[in-house]
Amino acid sequence: MTDAPAGATPTQSPARARPVRRSPTELTFKLDQALIDAFAADEPAWLAEDRRVALERFGALPIESNQLYTPYVDLRSADLATVVPYREPTGSPEAAAPDGPPEGAAGLAEFREDGVVALVLEAEAREAGVRLETLGRLISRDPVLARELLTDPAALPEDDKLAQLTRAGWNQGVVVIVPDGVRLARPIILRWRTGAPERALITRTIVRLGDGASASVLEELLPSYVAEAEGDDVAQALFAGSLEVVVGRNAELDLTSLQESGGRQVVFQQRNSRIGEGSQLRLALAQLGGRLVRSRVDNRLEGDRSSVSQVEIVFGSDEQLFDLTSYTRHIGRDTTGELLSKGALLNASRSYMKGLITIEKSAHGTDSFLGEFGMNLSRNARAVAIPSLEIDQPDCRRAAHSSSVGPIDETQLFYLESRGIPPDEARRFIVLGFLEPVVARVTLPDAEARLRALLEAKWDAGAVAAGEGSAAA
Amino acid sequence: MTATREIVADRREQFAFHDDIVYLAETKRGLTRDTVEEISRFKGEPDWMLQYRLRAYEHFLKRPMPTWTDGLDRLDFDKIVYYRKPSEREEKSWDDVPEQIKQTFERLGIPEAERKFLAGVGAQYDSEVVYHSVREELSKLGVVFMGTDQGLKEYPEIFRKHFGTVVPAEDNKFSALNSAVWSGGSFVYVPRGVEVPLPLQAYFRINGENTGQFERTLIVVDEGAKVHYIEGCTAPIYATDSLHAAVVEVVALSGSKVRYTTIQNWSNDVYNLVTKRAHAHTNSTVEWIDANTGSRKTVKFPSIYLRGEGATADIISVAVAGKGQHQDTGAKAIHLASNTRSRIVSKSVSKDGGRATYRGQVKVSPGARNVVASVRCDALMLDDESRSDTYPYIDIQEDDTTLTHEATVGKISADQVFYLMSRGLTENEAQNLIVQGFLEVFTKELPMEYAIEFNRLVKLEMEGSLG
Repeated sequence: MTDAPAGATPTQSPARARPVRRSPTELTFKLDQALIDAFAADEPAWLAEDRRVALERFGALPIESNQLYTPYVDLRSADLATVVPYREPTGSPEAAAPDGPPEGAAGLAEFREDGVVALVLEAEAREAGVRLETLGRLISRDPVLARELLTDPAALPEDDKLAQLTRAGWNQGVVVIVPDGVRLARPIILRWRTGAPERALITRTIVRLGDGASASVLEELLPSYVAEAEGDDVAQALFAGSLEVVVGRNAELDLTSLQESGGRQVVFQQRNSRIGEGSQLRLALAQLGGRLVRSRVDNRLEGDRSSVSQVEIVFGSDEQLFDLTSYTRHIGRDTTGELLSKGALLNASRSYMKGLITIEKSAHGTDSFLGEFGMNLSRNARAVAIPSLEIDQPDCRRAAHSSSVGPIDETQLFYLESRGIPPDEARRFIVLGFLEPVVARVTLPDAEARLRALLEAKWDAGAVAAGEGSAAA
Repeated sequence: MTATREIVADRREQFAFHDDIVYLAETKRGLTRDTVEEISRFKGEPDWMLQYRLRAYEHFLKRPMPTWTDGLDRLDFDKIVYYRKPSEREEKSWDDVPEQIKQTFERLGIPEAERKFLAGVGAQYDSEVVYHSVREELSKLGVVFMGTDQGLKEYPEIFRKHFGTVVPAEDNKFSALNSAVWSGGSFVYVPRGVEVPLPLQAYFRINGENTGQFERTLIVVDEGAKVHYIEGCTAPIYATDSLHAAVVEVVALSGSKVRYTTIQNWSNDVYNLVTKRAHAHTNSTVEWIDANTGSRKTVKFPSIYLRGEGATADIISVAVAGKGQHQDTGAKAIHLASNTRSRIVSKSVSKDGGRATYRGQVKVSPGARNVVASVRCDALMLDDESRSDTYPYIDIQEDDTTLTHEATVGKISADQVFYLMSRGLTENEAQNLIVQGFLEVFTKELPMEYAIEFNRLVKLEMEGSLG
C-alpha cells in the first residue's frame, strides 16, 4: 500500500497512505438492484415489495439524518467497495445439530457466515410454545406471521440509511418468540460467526415477548476464523444486523450483546425496541471488536410504567472507531429510562457516544437519566460525548444527563497505591472496574468469564503499546 | 386571579416606541452587489474594505441557509433595508445629538446611567453610532471607544490587523452577511497594561420597520489590560420580521482580562442571529455574560478560542423563551493550548409555548494538555406547552483533560411555591421569585443598575403567563 500515485494528497501517516481521499460520509458499500431482484425471484411478493421500498429509502437517505450528529460521522476506515453480500439465505443447519443447547442455555442459534451451524431449543421451552427459527423457515412455515413481523413499518427506523440497508438486503435472520406467560429461566444464545473477507452478512433478528413473559437473550458476534494477519491489506468484511424487539405487557426482557468481531470487520447495528405497559427491558452491550462499528439503539417506552435500563461499554484499542447512538423516547405515563454509556480508549481508538432522550407531551411522570463517560487512556485516543434532551412535558420526576471525559482518576490511583497495590495493577483495576457494570450483567456464566478474560487481554496488550505516549503511564 | 394580574401588569408598551426620523441616506430594499458598493461609498471606505465586503457578499450567496435550527426559511432577504443613516455625522457631545433621538435615549435612561458610572457611551440608533463620549481620563489613558466606522478611519492599522481575524467572513452564512453590509457597532482598543475602571456601555436600538441591523464590534485588549464592555438592547415592536445579524470579535492579548455582558431584549419580531467569538491568548481571561429574553428567534453561541497557554474562559448564558419565541443559545469553548480552563453555565426558562434550546461545544484539540472544563445546564419549564432541548457536544482529543457536564430539566417545585405563598406572596410573586433565583448566577455578575433592569425584564417576560 505504499504505491500512492505521485501528486496524491499526502495523508497524515505515510505508512497508511491511501490512493484516494474519501469523504467521511461516503458509504463504499453498494447494494445493487440486481441482488434485490435475485432475492425477489424466490420470495413472496410482499417481501420483494418491502425490500424494494427499503432500497429506495436506502438510496435517498443521507448517512446521518439527525443534524445533531452530522459532524461526527466518519466512515473513511470502512473499505467496502469490494464487499459482496451473500445471495442465498440458508434455512437449515449445514452441519449436524448438537444434541441440545449448551450448558446453562435454553436455546442456541449459531451461524457461521450465512450458514446455520446449530438451531436447538430445550424441550421444556419448545413445549411451552417458545419458537427459535430462521426467518427463511418462518416464511415457509407461517407466511402470515412472517409477513406481519417482517413488513411492520415500525420495526426499523425509516429515517436511518443503514436500517434500510438491512431491511433491503438481509440475507439471513432469526426469530425468537416467547408466548404469553412463559418465563424462561435460562438465556437463548444467538451466535454469529462472521468476517470472511469481502463478504457481507446482513441479518434481521426479531424478538417477540408476550404479556407476562420473561426471557433473556444473549447475542454474540464472533470472528468466523482467525486471520493470520489483520493488517490493512487484509480485505474487510461487513456485518449489518438488526434486532427488532416488541415486549408485551408486564414482561421482562434481558438483552446482552457481546461484540467481539475481528479487526477487519465493519459492523452496522440497529436495535429497535418497543416496550409495553409495565414491562422492563434491560440492555447490556459490550463493544470490543471490529474496525468500525456504527450502532443505533432505539428504545420506545410506549406503555405506561414501562422501563428501560441500558448499559453500554466500549473498550477500544488501535484505530478502532465506535460510533454509537441511542434514542430513548418516553411516550407512556410514568416511564423510566436509565442509560449509561462508558468508553475506555487505548491507542488511537475513538468513541462517539451520542444519546438523545425525548420526552413526549403524553409522557407525564417520566424519570430519565443518561450518562456518558469516557476514559482516554492514551494521547491519541478520542472520546466524544453528546448527551441531548428534548422535552415537551415538564411534569417529570427527573430529566437529566451527565457526562465526563478524563484520564484515569489520580485520586483513585493514589488510594490503591497507598494500599500497596503496584501502579500498573492499580490502573488495570480502575479501568476494568470502570467497565464492570456491563460484565456483571452478562446472563450466562461462561460468557461472563469469557468477556472478563477478553477485557483483561485487551488491557494487557493495549497498556504495553500505550506505555510510551500515555499520561496514564 | 385578577388581583395577580394587576400586580404584574404588562408595561412592555412603554419600551416599545417608534419615532419618525427623516433618514438622510438609505439603501433600497433587498441585497445586491450594488447595495454593498453603495454602503461602502456612503461611508467613504478604503478599497480593501470594499473588496472584503464584496468577497463576503459572494460567500453569502453561495452559502446555504442553515437547517440545523428551524424557522430561518421565513427570512426574506429581499424585504430588508440593509443600510440607514439617521444623522450625518457622529456626535461628540450630548448637546449636539438630534432632539428626537435624544428623547428616545432619555426614555431608556442613558444620560443618567452615564452620569452615574459609565465610562463611555456608544449608542446605536439604527445603523450608525450617533452619540459617543469617552471620559476625559480614559482618553488620556489611550482607551479608544468609538463607532466601528470611525475606528476604521482613525485607527486603520489596529483595525486592519484584527478585523475579520476572529470571525472570518466565511465562518457562516450570517457572518458573511454581516461582513458584506456591516454598519455601526463599537470599536474598543485598550492599550497595554491599562485597566479601565468602569464598564464601557453601548446601547443598541432598532428603529424603523424592516431595518436590518448588522453591527460589527471589534474589541482589542492589549497585553495586561482589563475592560468590561456592556451592551443592552430594547426595540420597538413591529408586525413584520426584523433581522439582526451582528458579529462581535474580541481579541484578548496576553495577560489581559475582558468581560462582555449582554442583555438582549429585542422585540418579539426580531430574528437575532449573532456570531460572537473571542480569542484568548496566553494567561488571558475572557468572560461572556449573556442573557437573551427578547426576539422571536435568537441563534447565538458566544465562543472562546483558548489559543494561549493558561487562558481562562468563563461563559454564563441565560435564556427566557416566552410565547412564540425560540432561544437557540449556548456556548463554545475550544481549547487549543495547554493548561487552559473553561466553565460554561447555562440556565433557561421556557413558558407559554416558548422553546429554549441549549447548544454547546467543548473541544480539546490534540496537543492541549492538562485542560479542565466544565459545563452545567439547567432548564426550567413553566407549563405543558413549552419545550426545552439540551444538545451539548463534548469532543476531547487529549488523555489528560478533565471535563464534566451536567444537565437537568424540571418544573417549578410545588413545595417551594407553597412555602413562599405561606409567607404571604401571591402565586405569581412566588413563581417570579423562584425564576429570579434560578437565574441569579447571571444576575449577580451584573452591575447593580443592570441587575435591577434584568430582573424587571424577567418579570415582564413572566407576565401574562401566570395567574
